Amino acid sequence: MAEAVTGVPPVGVAIVDDHPVVIDGVRAWLATEPRLRVLATGDDPDEVLRAAPEADVLLLDLRLHGRMVLDRLAELSAAGRRVVVYSEHTEPATMLAALDAGAVAFLAKHEGREHCVATVLAAAQDRPYVPPALAGAMVGDPRPDRPALSDKEREALLLWFQSMSKASVARRMRISEHTVKQYVDRARIKYTRAGRPARTKAALLARAIEDGLVRPEDIGIYRSHAAADRPTP
Amino acid sequence: MSADLGTTVDPPAQRWPRRPGAVTTAYPGGAEPDAAGDPAAVARASDRGARVAAVAIALAWHLVVGLPGQLAARSQLPAAPLAGAAWLLVAGIGLLAGHRLLRADPLPAAPLAGLLLACDAVVFAAVGDRHLFAAANWVWSGLGWFLLLAVWGRRTSRLLLLLAAHSAIALATLVARGVTAPADLARFAMYVYGTSSLPVAVFVGAAAIAGMARERAGTAAAALAVEAERAAAERARRDRQARLALVSAAAGEVLDDLAQGRADPGDPAVQRRCATAAARLRRLIAESDDVPDPLLHELRAAADLAECGGLAVDLVNVGVPPPLPVPVRRALADPLTTELAGARDWARLTVVAGPDEVTVGLVTPDRGPGDGSGPPAPAVDDEKVDHVYERDGGIRWTQTRWRKR
Repeated sequence: MAEAVTGVPPVGVAIVDDHPVVIDGVRAWLATEPRLRVLATGDDPDEVLRAAPEADVLLLDLRLHGRMVLDRLAELSAAGRRVVVYSEHTEPATMLAALDAGAVAFLAKHEGREHCVATVLAAAQDRPYVPPALAGAMVGDPRPDRPALSDKEREALLLWFQSMSKASVARRMRISEHTVKQYVDRARIKYTRAGRPARTKAALLARAIEDGLVRPEDIGIYRSHAAADRPTP
Repeated sequence: MSADLGTTVDPPAQRWPRRPGAVTTAYPGGAEPDAAGDPAAVARASDRGARVAAVAIALAWHLVVGLPGQLAARSQLPAAPLAGAAWLLVAGIGLLAGHRLLRADPLPAAPLAGLLLACDAVVFAAVGDRHLFAAANWVWSGLGWFLLLAVWGRRTSRLLLLLAAHSAIALATLVARGVTAPADLARFAMYVYGTSSLPVAVFVGAAAIAGMARERAGTAAAALAVEAERAAAERARRDRQARLALVSAAAGEVLDDLAQGRADPGDPAVQRRCATAAARLRRLIAESDDVPDPLLHELRAAADLAECGGLAVDLVNVGVPPPLPVPVRRALADPLTTELAGARDWARLTVVAGPDEVTVGLVTPDRGPGDGSGPPAPAVDDEKVDHVYERDGGIRWTQTRWRKR
């Protein structure tokens, strides 16, 4: 039906969660967005992907049947699956571990419909989306080998985490909303260098370069270029 | 929602431990950390007895054995005044060393040892051939105790080195005087053994006892810190369980009302009850620290109180704040707790903490100029804590930030 309206095939989504009520809830959220179509749901990633191998984005509950499935997440990401992790486990260490394992995005379960739809749409295009909880984890990242973020990137992440409103962050930093989003997204792209390499990370990086969000040389030696944080045109 | 979270909020005056290892606690069962004291201080105290004994032996030997031997033979010595001066100098060194050791003041070990060995050589030269092995040559037996005082508390190898120098001076004198008959060398060996073994035994024994005392005190202090932390964690766990029981009961009541049809999901009041119960549960789940940080504790208490007034409060924290002085903590928390008390509908309280920076943010809906409650009074100007307050029509934004200078 979305095809009929826009001419662009909708994004196929698969949902993996061991609680049917959550699957129903997320399905209801996504149903309000015509550009998304839920293709398969279930409590096992393999079964769900067998039912819908063409799914563009996999929404994965990080805890399945009492077990954290970071290892499965890493396998799926290494194989090029765009996995959006959504979980009630919002400890910053868990969120960062999910990014390291190759998750395209991390969504806290209480962050709501708007963030969920935006995250899935961005993930389908290999574009970053940083919900506020993930921004908090990134700005508070205590690991010694964390990516070097510029002052502006850190400030944008911090204020976005606090206020959950990009318009308010823009007013506060006296920049445009577009630039706020650039700072936040660029910080996220720097995280593609953390953890194991994965095809999903390479795809995020490639799209960021294509979009002009970062320059290849910034990423190659981004640590020493951390101070150069002027917005890209 | 009848459950009153206020009953479980700890009084703000409650002292919370700052960090494991440096625990100050008011919990029952937590002993005063000072009782264990500093392991080094305990070692010093237990060493004091041995120091008193060593000083007493050296001076008594010098006075009771050294002096009469020298006085009895003074008329037969080739250079009696020289030997007498050396005796007085050694006595002076002994008094100085004893005084400083008993006060636990540091001793200039190298100059003292140098002076003592010089006296050693002088006396050996002054007593002549006849009295080399006699009581008049008091340095043979007595000097070892003074060498012991000079290097007290240092490595045993220093003492052995000084005693070896002492023996070398004696041997050199014997060789120079041609006193090298087998019987003389045997007496020399006996004297070296007899006069060195006791000081070495006292020195090694004292060092071992002090080391053991230090270790025991260290273990006791560590055990006490662990115990205090365990008590704090246990108390935090009990508090959380009590709050969980209250919050669960409150949430269960809403769910029950919904299931029984007594509450209408479309009713804003019911939606509000649901939102508040969910926020409470979320906050409890988010409490992952075993021993609550004082800043987070204060903010949680404020959030709990605000919630009793019907506010849905999200409290999200990232990182563990470093130990902060009380004025800094106040400057960080007070503007937010004040603003929280006047907030309506919902509030988002965030803490991002690292070792060098702590930022606390509060965002609440901005209800326009007619709201009545204006911006909070400007915080006390603290050079270390920035305070920003903004209203942009959509939200009210209070932020305090501490940076390590």
